[in-house]
Amino acid sequence: MKLQPADDGALMLEEIPPFLFHLLSNITVRASSRDPRVEARFFPDPAREESLIEDWKSLVQPELQFLFQSARETVQADLRGASVEDGMYSMKIPRKHADAWLNALNQARLAIVEESGFGEEDMASEVEPDLEDERAMALFEISFFGFLQECLVRMQE
Amino acid sequence: MPSLDIPETLEKIDLDLPWNVLVHNDPVNLMSYVTLIFRRVFGYSREKAEQHMMEVHKRGRSIVWTGPREQAELFVQQLQSHLLLATLEAAR
Repeated sequence: MKLQPADDGALMLEEIPPFLFHLLSNITVRASSRDPRVEARFFPDPAREESLIEDWKSLVQPELQFLFQSARETVQADLRGASVEDGMYSMKIPRKHADAWLNALNQARLAIVEESGFGEEDMASEVEPDLEDERAMALFEISFFGFLQECLVRMQE
Repeated sequence: MPSLDIPETLEKIDLDLPWNVLVHNDPVNLMSYVTLIFRRVFGYSREKAEQHMMEVHKRGRSIVWTGPREQAELFVQQLQSHLLLATLEAAR
């Protein structure tokens, strides 16, 4: 897979093998998890104060939910715009969509970690993708999404 | 109604206290991403943003801002919108 910045500030992803494109297509699936552990991580209590927690749940949480959903929809739309040639995919992340991608990638990574119960040691371990090994695949997804995030962060600087 | 004066006064004092915005460590968020968010949300220089990021990473948390409660709540909301583990507490 090749990543390179375009003149208009977009990030071009080219020669994406089907396996990696499948993972990209899974970003929004992963990020849409309804697992209570994921929900708790996406919407942490802002303080110990009960009244503030209640206000937060009724006023702030819906805004955050909307924002997260919006980011996922932007990513989904960009993925729908991908083209395929000789079995390899190409797509573009427009500059103005970079924040949505950063957000959705973070959602996906956090969701995988919560669902898999990974800790710091798991995150630090090196893994190779292995379709037969669910844990290795989950760690590889986190690593791949992190790599994309890193590229997008660098483009923001 | 003099009896109502006391809670009003207490409430005013409470609101006037400075509040800390804290960011807590998690193993997922990239260091570069956390630094970028600190720069964006607070307008910090790269150096200051990295100092806070490293404090989060090494000590488990960092007080990234202190000030009026209303603004602290807004900052926590902004940080949470980027999926950082952010909370607020009275700076006592």
